[in-house]
Amino acid sequence: MLKIKNLHASIDGKAILKGLNLEINPGEVHAIMGPNGAGKSTLASVLAGHESYEITEGEILFEGKDLTALPIEDRAREGLFLAFQYPVEIPGVSNVNFLKTALNEIREYAGLKPLSAKDFLQLVKEKSALVELDSSLATRSVNEGFSGGEKKRNEIFQMAMLNPKLAILDETDSGLDIDALRIVASGVNALKTKENATLVITHYQRLLDYIVPDFVHVLFDGRIVKTGGKDLALELEEKGYDWIKAEHA
Amino acid sequence: MKNEGRGSLIEFQQQLVPTNLQLPDSILSKANQDIQRLADFPTTKSEDFRYTRLIRLNKLQLQTEKSFAPPLVNIAPTTEGIQIVFENGQLVSVVGQHEGVTVQSAQDVPQSQWLACEYKGFVQAMNAVNAQGGVSIEISKQVAVPTSITIIQRWSGKSQAVLLHHQIVLHPFASAHIEWIHEGRAEESFQNLLLDCFLAEGSQLKMDKLQTQEGNSFSFCTERIYQKKQSSFAINTLTFNAFFTRNDLEIFGQEEGTESKMYGVFMGEENNHIDNHTTMNHMAPHSTSNELYKGVLKGKASGVFYGKINVFKDAQKTNAFQSNRNLLLSDDASVNAKPALEIYADDVKCSHGSTTGQLDEKALFYLRSRGISQDRAVQLLLEGFLSEVINEVKNESLRNRVKAYVSVEKA
Repeated sequence: MLKIKNLHASIDGKAILKGLNLEINPGEVHAIMGPNGAGKSTLASVLAGHESYEITEGEILFEGKDLTALPIEDRAREGLFLAFQYPVEIPGVSNVNFLKTALNEIREYAGLKPLSAKDFLQLVKEKSALVELDSSLATRSVNEGFSGGEKKRNEIFQMAMLNPKLAILDETDSGLDIDALRIVASGVNALKTKENATLVITHYQRLLDYIVPDFVHVLFDGRIVKTGGKDLALELEEKGYDWIKAEHA
Repeated sequence: MKNEGRGSLIEFQQQLVPTNLQLPDSILSKANQDIQRLADFPTTKSEDFRYTRLIRLNKLQLQTEKSFAPPLVNIAPTTEGIQIVFENGQLVSVVGQHEGVTVQSAQDVPQSQWLACEYKGFVQAMNAVNAQGGVSIEISKQVAVPTSITIIQRWSGKSQAVLLHHQIVLHPFASAHIEWIHEGRAEESFQNLLLDCFLAEGSQLKMDKLQTQEGNSFSFCTERIYQKKQSSFAINTLTFNAFFTRNDLEIFGQEEGTESKMYGVFMGEENNHIDNHTTMNHMAPHSTSNELYKGVLKGKASGVFYGKINVFKDAQKTNAFQSNRNLLLSDDASVNAKPALEIYADDVKCSHGSTTGQLDEKALFYLRSRGISQDRAVQLLLEGFLSEVINEVKNESLRNRVKAYVSVEKA
């Protein structure tokens, strides 16, 4: 589904990713862990198409297509979804209007007719229940005045509505208490199928108790330096990142 | 270009015909004197026109002969409110009526019933001396008009001079909603519209003013609002496609407990110039004013927001809030914003703020990352930015008309 080969990316001339390789297949859950500054969020931004980053070398194939050639919106329409670490507040734009626009643009790209108002509202009702999002939040402005937990649940709600092939969760656990974490994780797990895949980016092992990964990768200094099973996350939790740093210094 | 010393204002004004309204003689003679004394259009050195250049007015050659037949006035009952239509300054129709609402041509208003006493600056002086008609609307005591009263200001053609003076009087505890629609397209024309509103004790007036006139013409528009005890006034000033528009809105909270709301949206493109001047006079205690203007400018468009709040010595317990926010969608667009507060009372709450910036790049990325195209994302952000004002337009069909002007192409 996703093939990243020798990816180098920089921002303002500063190299952040320095030869990253990663392959994700349908039905898999991958976790990327690593110390602060390793390039975790850069990877998420580069995949989503953030224009501040320059790809200087390497390639990203998504379903066989060159992702780097696609504008931001087309990546989403192809089935990529990024759950933001810091969801953006957009005053005056209602959550429902925003999602209806997004969903219908994605459907149009796939050659599908827009969803009827009735079907759309039914979908909102069904998917907001998945993350226990109060239905009143659907009519409020996007993320405006939402608590930290509500913002993250809203991200997963959007993911449920847009039904992506590959979901990237960027530090989705940050700022969440244990109850919100459980709700967010169970939402993600409920959306899991054999056809889609999830990439969890996290600093802590905590989230991986709930979203169990098939593979854990350690990102350090712009490259994946170690890959293992879910036990690797536990090992990192216990030993910290210093031994990784020492190995690769 | 004419020499300023030769009297550009006097020369311009000589193209216009003397007013056919019966304003008090003292006002007329003072207005005439003011024009002679000023002689020239104000330059950008003057406080009131610092960001608006009037020199281009010198090039206008206006038609002095009116090519219209005498006004044709129809009065027909309708359930859809009252509609008053002007074509290039001629009152062409009045449709609809309501008990307690008197509509008449401004030419028929006797001298004693013109209520404003002071005409300030060349725009108002010129209107006093040269206005050709207008409409007078009077709403009787305790009458609540259930439907809108719509004044349509349509213009067309070339080299037109449209000068009108409207007067709206609400007697005690009356209430009404007025829509003032400026539409059509005229080239190299000139418009000077003056609207006075007198709100007696406990009366309520809501206004939506929609300016959508196109063409390379010049529009000056003045509202003077006089509020008595416990009266309430609210206006939404919505300006789109304006080649050159100068709006002056001045409110006089003359007695205790008045409420005034001034909301506005302006959008400009290409070489548009939109200048909004507002003045809120708090002259008596316990009054409130609330002001919010939002501007969106692209191309080489320029905007001005000048918001003055005067709190008089006796106006204790005044609450006055002013906010202006602008979005610039291109490098060549600009806004000059200036709040001006003069406070002579010591127990008041006043606040003001003005910001000018670009579209939020983070929000744009967020929307696009959900599959929304760049254009549609910009559109959503603009609608969101302006919604705070546009949602104040309570008439749904008018609100939808306003929303249609908020498009990426028009931005």
